Amino acid sequence: MEKLPLEGIRVTDFTAVWAGSHITQWLGVMGAEVIKIESSLRPDLTRQVFRGMAPDCPMSAVFAVLNYGKKGCTLNMTLPRARELAKEIIKVSDIVAENFGGPVMDRWGLGYSELIKLKPDIIMYSGSGFGRTGPYKESPAFAGIIEAFSGLCSLNAHPDGEPLPMATRGYIDLAAAQHGVFAILAALYHRSKTGQGQYIDLSMTEVMGAFLPEPIMHYTMNGIVQAPLGNRDSYVAPHGCYRCRGDDDWVAIAVSNDDEWRAFCDVIGNPEWTEDERFHDGLNRLKNQEQLDSLIQEWTKNHDHYEVMEMLQKGGVIAGPSFKVEEVVQDRHLGERGFFTAIDHPGIGSVRLAGLPWKLSGVPQGNYQHAPLIGENNDYVFKELLKMPEEEIARLQEEQVIY
Amino acid sequence: MTSQALSGLKVVEWSEFVSGPYCGKLLADLGAEVIKVEKPGSGDKSRSYGPFPQKIPHPEKSGLFLYLNTNKLGISLNVQNTTGADIFKELIKQTDILIENNPPGEVEELGFDYQSLKNINPGLVMTSITPFGQTGPYRDYKSCDLTSFHMSGMAFINPSEGVDDTEKKAPLRGATHQADLVAGLNGAIVTLSAIFVCQMTGLGQHVDLSEQEALASFMRRELGVFAVEEMGWTRLKGTQPGMESDIYQCSDGRIYLICFHDRTWEPWIEFMGNPDWATSELFADIASRRENWDAAKAMIEEWTKEHSVDEIVSAAEAMRVPCKPVNTAKELVESELLAARDYFTEVDHKQAGRVKFPGAPYKLSETPWCVEQPAPLLGEHNEKVYCERLGYTKPDLVRMRAGGVI
Repeated sequence: MEKLPLEGIRVTDFTAVWAGSHITQWLGVMGAEVIKIESSLRPDLTRQVFRGMAPDCPMSAVFAVLNYGKKGCTLNMTLPRARELAKEIIKVSDIVAENFGGPVMDRWGLGYSELIKLKPDIIMYSGSGFGRTGPYKESPAFAGIIEAFSGLCSLNAHPDGEPLPMATRGYIDLAAAQHGVFAILAALYHRSKTGQGQYIDLSMTEVMGAFLPEPIMHYTMNGIVQAPLGNRDSYVAPHGCYRCRGDDDWVAIAVSNDDEWRAFCDVIGNPEWTEDERFHDGLNRLKNQEQLDSLIQEWTKNHDHYEVMEMLQKGGVIAGPSFKVEEVVQDRHLGERGFFTAIDHPGIGSVRLAGLPWKLSGVPQGNYQHAPLIGENNDYVFKELLKMPEEEIARLQEEQVIY
Repeated sequence: MTSQALSGLKVVEWSEFVSGPYCGKLLADLGAEVIKVEKPGSGDKSRSYGPFPQKIPHPEKSGLFLYLNTNKLGISLNVQNTTGADIFKELIKQTDILIENNPPGEVEELGFDYQSLKNINPGLVMTSITPFGQTGPYRDYKSCDLTSFHMSGMAFINPSEGVDDTEKKAPLRGATHQADLVAGLNGAIVTLSAIFVCQMTGLGQHVDLSEQEALASFMRRELGVFAVEEMGWTRLKGTQPGMESDIYQCSDGRIYLICFHDRTWEPWIEFMGNPDWATSELFADIASRRENWDAAKAMIEEWTKEHSVDEIVSAAEAMRVPCKPVNTAKELVESELLAARDYFTEVDHKQAGRVKFPGAPYKLSETPWCVEQPAPLLGEHNEKVYCERLGYTKPDLVRMRAGGVI
């Protein structure tokens, strides 16, 4: 039986909502045993998020897609006894992850300095908007706040447009979570070589900075504040997104040198305007891209966006449709590669959700256990893992400790 | 040199521009030894991308290159030449990891596909980062950051608020190189996971990473909602409830403010002086606010327009209402926060001089992220790698240079 990469690694998971749930999900799918701690008094907000709640469904689609591969356990952490039980779980864990909006773990007596007393080689991950030190260590953060503060919003616009947060609400949540996953894996690697654990302090703002090197260096090198480019590029044209035939269908096209330009002109049938001096070389195409773009759009408008991709790709030119959500789901390429994975959910049924974006030769796809119902794996955690007697578990449930 | 988290891991990075190099950077900045293979002459494509000091293009002074290639050893090697290919294979014999982002067809043609390389190093982890992966109908299609972003579905829902005129406003690509960076980040994660498999089994792995899928997996919420409710996404502003903009105009700039929930609404309207409109029944609880949010937003903005960003942000901070300025890179670089966190890194580079760029995306208590050396000049470490590592002599190097191998 082939093993998943993180088999044998256990995670005590205090994270919630987007960024946090996302990080432990990656660990779970890669084979770690993730024990998500919630309380019926304070379930993860995304269980009942405003969107995606299927009728009669015990969890939202959003929760389902951010929490598969995990086990669910309830502890009412406001009670001292629950915190003691959390410590017992931590003692048999390799990683503790949290992304509270402030020093909640310290208040519970579960800060890093306490955790290393319980488990000397523990790896603790703290994710926050601005870092666990510094002037904003307790500032509330949401993805949009970070995207605004870090400068991303100011760049996420059409050239004449207003600044806005990017794409899916929570882009930086996901980018930060993945940087966190990488840092945790690196810490695990270090532990495997040296036996030493450590504390990881991840700031979403700092991750966003890592993803904006050019705007930052435009400023540090030359004092220049970069303007938003939209779909355009600073160096080459045409480089844009063009309207196609159909209902709000668009195609992206990028031409980066003279060879590609000639290939592009051939594909569109060398209309007279392509001979124009205004578009003769790269510099001129860049200078006159406004006119160039509208002429190109005259051509794309007559074609289906898939058709434009096929025609141009055949000619060696970079082009691809701007896929709608449903087109991603139905795309034949992603379908053939098995990007989506069917997960059977209590109350929802079988759902095709986005799976791992990679394939490892010789390793099974991943742990796609459905997202847990609240406290779904309490038996496993308290009876099997902590070996507590059933009467005690029943009493603690009664006392709303395991709750 | 202090021991770092990934000290001891050996990596060959045969890739250029952004995705592969970011993957290599993530490993190198935590201590892995990364040997970057560049083609002789022009080197990595990102060398021709700015920003450049004084805006003067120079292959050794590209900001993008200097950022993406910290802590790497740089060699020049023409892998299309027979001798070059043999040298490349010698490097592969001695490495744990190969990162590459070349077109699958070209890799096969050169004989550097995983099946071939596995024969010379059975423990090799080969991470292939390509636009569409190693299989499927789009495998050999060309792509760049723009098209990858659009083909993942992310551009169509960007910005999340929607647009006023769907005919005039195209779906929007992410700023700068988000698609390629996300691909590189995913590459680094899966590479380490493959190393764990290697530790367990002693066997190498081929990692097939698709940039389109890496980005599409960022849309798991939209994809999940669609799967359950078969609900698509339209771009017209106002058609996606809960997706309204949280950006407000102030007297001297903009803020991002979330004052919608009970805990923040109360202190926020008190801060505005409890205006009559705000205390009306239309906004009494979260359900009615949701119903009437457009109206609330317009009224709030009337008020914020009369007040400064600083005034609002510091008051919000005290009230614990989520609110920060909408910054540019300038304000980020100059921020008190990032100074206190000691975020930015400055290195002295032989040709570009002192360069300041983003630092650690995470702080590891025992094995800190650090930049020990700046990005390499083209072929800077030829002697170190070819002579010290592979046993070539200096006269060999002269011959290899003359023969266009290095």
